[in-house]
Amino acid sequence: MKKIIFQGVILLLIVFSAFMCMRQLNWVKLFHVQQITVKSEQKLGDLLLDVILSADKENKSIQVYNSIDSIVNHICLKNNINREQIKIHVVEKDEINAFAMPNGHLIVYSGLIQNSDNQEELTGVLCHEIAHIQLNHVMKKMISEMGLSMIISISSGNGSPVLIKKALQKLSSLSYERTLEKEADLKGVDYMINAEVDPSGLAEFLFKQSNENATSNYLQWASSHPDSRDRAVYINDYIKNKNIAKRSILCKSTWNNLKDNFN
Amino acid sequence: MNHSTFTYEPGEHEAESASNSYVMSLIAIIAGLPLPIVNLIATLIFYLGNRKSTYFVRWHCTQALLSQLSLLFLNSYGFWWTVSIIISDELITNNYLAYIITLIVFNIIEFVTTIYTAIQVRKGKHVSWWFYGTLTNLVCKP
Repeated sequence: MKKIIFQGVILLLIVFSAFMCMRQLNWVKLFHVQQITVKSEQKLGDLLLDVILSADKENKSIQVYNSIDSIVNHICLKNNINREQIKIHVVEKDEINAFAMPNGHLIVYSGLIQNSDNQEELTGVLCHEIAHIQLNHVMKKMISEMGLSMIISISSGNGSPVLIKKALQKLSSLSYERTLEKEADLKGVDYMINAEVDPSGLAEFLFKQSNENATSNYLQWASSHPDSRDRAVYINDYIKNKNIAKRSILCKSTWNNLKDNFN
Repeated sequence: MNHSTFTYEPGEHEAESASNSYVMSLIAIIAGLPLPIVNLIATLIFYLGNRKSTYFVRWHCTQALLSQLSLLFLNSYGFWWTVSIIISDELITNNYLAYIITLIVFNIIEFVTTIYTAIQVRKGKHVSWWFYGTLTNLVCKP
């Protein structure tokens, strides 16, 4: 019996030692394994942001920024999200759109603020996009749409302007898979519940968008997120029996002032 | 691995059956890749089919089974690690590649040893593996 235990231990040691020896070699480098690192995601996000801001003007109004920042701050605080991870950019554009980009950049078009009937609708859309960032959907989608090597090529500075433009188009009109979309919707609703914001705002926004002319160029957010009506239904089902405290993040005058900036 | 004399001289039919237990695991490895469980199931079925056979056949079926069993744990871990990389956010790390290469090396060693043993046993020679042979002596009695 002692002999078997001794031989077993020796065998385990051989396997373990072999593994430890193998670990000494840099196989990742040896096999040229391509990986998206935090650094390449940062570069990619910053590069795409530069392209957006070279085409459209960023709204630099302190009042606008502070209002959106207050909403995002409150959501992050109540959901233990690292606020520094989310970088808000309000861009002057009539499209009703908001989208998440690599490295936590969150682009909000002025058209979205303009067309939100109340702050709960805007908060709902922001929560949905923050959920995409938190669940790492942005990079997952970009890699599946464009391929890992192309993403690495862009982030390493070797991407052609055509390639960068294509990446941007994919992001701004990014329609995630149904499962990812639902995951972000429900996560966004959870964020709203934790922040004591009425989550029916998101459902109302989706329902409103599905009723309007979906072919309109200005309804980018709704048209890039298909089945808006279905999504509104499942969000309402999800919150039906939940006891939700409802409060406004911004006071009425701040919300009105924010809207006035774009009217 | 050592060549020792068995307690008796096995007959032609016994040598063939005993050798088949190793051949069975080889075929199942090829058929079952990348699922690591297939070769174990095949060897187990062969073992169960021969458990009432002669001592020489039973002994080699047991050795083949035990050797498959330990590789099963190593292979299963590697298999599920690979699956988690494919379906989740997990990255291909140096540790993962080192583990997979270690796994491949041990599988090749096992594969070659199994072929060698199958040939020798077919000739009626008794081949006892280091550790597995001792373990088989413990669980397989005449």
